[in-house]
Amino acid sequence: MATIAPSMKAVFAAEHDVPVPYMQRTRDYYLALGFAAYRWAHFVDAPFAPLRIPLSQARIGLITTAAPYQPEAGDQGPGAPYNAAAKFYQVYSIPTETEPDLRISHVGYDRLHTSAKDINSYLPLARLKDAVAAGRIGSLAPRVHGAPTNRSHRVTMETDLPELLRRSQEDGVDAVVLVPS
Amino acid sequence: MCHQTVSLAARHLEAHGIPTVIMGCAKDIVEHCGVPRFLWSDFPLGNSAGRPFDFQSQAETLELALRVLETAPAARTTVQSPQRWTDDAEWKKDFNDLSKLSPDKIAERRKEFEVVKAVAKSKREGT
Repeated sequence: MATIAPSMKAVFAAEHDVPVPYMQRTRDYYLALGFAAYRWAHFVDAPFAPLRIPLSQARIGLITTAAPYQPEAGDQGPGAPYNAAAKFYQVYSIPTETEPDLRISHVGYDRLHTSAKDINSYLPLARLKDAVAAGRIGSLAPRVHGAPTNRSHRVTMETDLPELLRRSQEDGVDAVVLVPS
Repeated sequence: MCHQTVSLAARHLEAHGIPTVIMGCAKDIVEHCGVPRFLWSDFPLGNSAGRPFDFQSQAETLELALRVLETAPAARTTVQSPQRWTDDAEWKKDFNDLSKLSPDKIAERRKEFEVVKAVAKSKREGT
């Protein structure tokens, strides 16, 4: 639904058709519920490591925030309500040669407008395998790594990130694709 | 939280010499954190790798992420996928929309969240 701005000939996009302000919405939501505002991490600088070899020769790693299915942990199916019991608190790794059953009931994905029915919409493992088969990338790392989504920056930065780095280095990756769910 | 976690992870890998690209849907969280390379899909959270049951969408999303990995000239490079979730943008209004919640509903959500926090705490502590 486009609107025409007053005194302008240009046709603009609808006013609300902008990136969803997730930080603001989340802050307002939890304040309304009576909880303290969350402090989101941010930095002035960002590191940058150039890609040193062509992707067609590169070994690519994959890091996800999806969780391994845990039969004892309640409903983790498509559209399941938020399920804290399905959360995980340690970095995990699974072989890329498998077709892992990873779910996202433990995170705040958009349950109104999508359903998590297709793992390929939040985990590009099958498409990465296609890219290897097509010669677009050299190879996949032997393991997919799972990153715990912890509210605590300290736990993430002091415990989980060094572990993810260690495992990625062990895998000998040339670059990593990271995919939040 | 997912987008923040992977943003911090990307920064950490990159600081140790491993190039990264994030595929994600929450533009504000990732850019606020500050990451090396980011392919943004303007889709509801949960579709970072493309549209469900849409091979073409997923393949194009990954290919664009790989292009970002190859060609980003400097840190904080964001590329927006040209794909649209729907023709209009009505879905964007709904996430945590307080205007649709009555005071009773808010009280109910608060109780639910307390339960969720308790479950997460016991799980975290392995009790």
